[in-house]
Amino acid sequence: MRWGMVIDVGRCVGCHACTIACKSENESPADAFYAPVIEYEAGTYPNAQMNYLPILCNHCEDAPCITACPSGALTRRDDGIVLADEDVCIGSRACMTACPYGALHLFTGEEGEMRTEHARTEPTVSDRRAHERHQVGTVSKCTYCSHKIDFGLEHGLTPGIDPLATPACVVTCPAECRIFGDLDDATSPISQYIERRGPAEVLRPDAKTGAHTSYVG
Amino acid sequence: MSVETVPTRPVGHVPENVFMDRWVLEPKTQRVWGAPHATWFTLMGVGGGLFILARALDRDADLGHWLGIPLVDWISFVAIAVGGLILIGDLGRPWRAWRAFVNVRRSVISWGAWADLIFLTAGALLVLPDLRIGSARPFESLPWDSNATSASGRTLEIVAMIAALGVMIYAGIVLARPRAIPYWHSPSIPLQFLLSSAATAMAVLLVMEFANDVAIEASELWITAAFLVALLALVVGHLLTRSDTPGKKESRDRLLRGQYRLPFLGGVVILGTVVPLALTVVALAVTDARDALAVVLLVLLLPAGFALRLLTLRVGIFPPLKEVPGIFRP
Repeated sequence: MRWGMVIDVGRCVGCHACTIACKSENESPADAFYAPVIEYEAGTYPNAQMNYLPILCNHCEDAPCITACPSGALTRRDDGIVLADEDVCIGSRACMTACPYGALHLFTGEEGEMRTEHARTEPTVSDRRAHERHQVGTVSKCTYCSHKIDFGLEHGLTPGIDPLATPACVVTCPAECRIFGDLDDATSPISQYIERRGPAEVLRPDAKTGAHTSYVG
Repeated sequence: MSVETVPTRPVGHVPENVFMDRWVLEPKTQRVWGAPHATWFTLMGVGGGLFILARALDRDADLGHWLGIPLVDWISFVAIAVGGLILIGDLGRPWRAWRAFVNVRRSVISWGAWADLIFLTAGALLVLPDLRIGSARPFESLPWDSNATSASGRTLEIVAMIAALGVMIYAGIVLARPRAIPYWHSPSIPLQFLLSSAATAMAVLLVMEFANDVAIEASELWITAAFLVALLALVVGHLLTRSDTPGKKESRDRLLRGQYRLPFLGGVVILGTVVPLALTVVALAVTDARDALAVVLLVLLLPAGFALRLLTLRVGIFPPLKEVPGIFRP
């Protein structure tokens, strides 16, 4: 069993619902967005268009963050999910410089949201929860909502199909641009999608990380 | 209708998330490591280099003692210990620093943590028999001396020297190993750090010789010159190779044409390498000028070594996640 996600960028409408669903589900610290969406323009008038690139941890087969981490806080489960243990993290930030995708986030204890480069809002409601759930000076990251996957498997649900067992960003996406499932199971939604749409691409292929998050469209 | 303004307060510092400024497909500069890392890289490099070179050149016993222990050894111990404390102080959770020893199977930082510990332990054990407090030598009965004349002393010295080499080089390997930042992903980086440390350590040795009325020998100047030539070749070679790689191109541009042009070309390359090399050649020819030139060498090499490391960190740039032809860049 190897969990993976394929993102059909051609379907993405740039609503950022995935970003918010992730923030809500994981109560990530201020400024830490595990599933942001990059917006960019390409082409020239009259053929210019907006494009969206949702990004998140790639849960790499050969994860450079795990190799860089001196404390063993970053581990890879048998099902391929890369997790950060905040109880073990020493805050060396080696993972942050080693990850080509910028998927690791240091909780500095800052509160409020970045309003401009020089100003933040007052502390938000989610700041309080972030302080309860995360440790200052440690690194956190996307878990593919492993808590939902584990809960689902315990209750006989299928991750990628049943919402209770599927990552929040996948469940919330109105355009269904995120497809999640078992890469080892030929009948899983993700395997069938990739078979139908052709080979998926990974970000930063030069980094040779064996990413489990890939892109089509 | 009145519009409620959101109360704001100044940012304490820039958040340490490479994607925070703007989520755009642009090369992004790493901001997680900076001056504290450059400081401990420098201190550990010079400390390790000093220990190795003083013993390899058999100079440790000639350059003064404090509490019975060679001054050169004190300097290298203190430099590495202070570097280690800066490293620990910069951690997000400093009191968990012991966990840095855990991931030896994979992490270069763990190798480095062990190298630091082994160096400080083996080095301290090596010099312990010579420790003099007043007229007493409490560890005199240990079966070796700090000059490593016995087999056990020699073993400790070799262990300490190998660990010191590890201390000198591991910071560079930490940067060079991952592929995320192309400018760092090269064997040139650890070698640059190693040679810069070695050249600076030689300058420290030369100044200590001057301070202790020990003649500076031509062979020591030749060694310093060799380190500087190799360093210059590595820096230039690194800038010339794979220079169009996304990420590395931006790093190179920043060093050669952008905001770091003056500190890099003026500080690291000219004042920190070319001028010291020229001074070393002058010192080879003019024996009387060696003492004064040794001081100038140290004054130039130490800040240049720090600048080399700091600028290497500052131009650590992640290339765009995806190459998009025809992307609009305002």
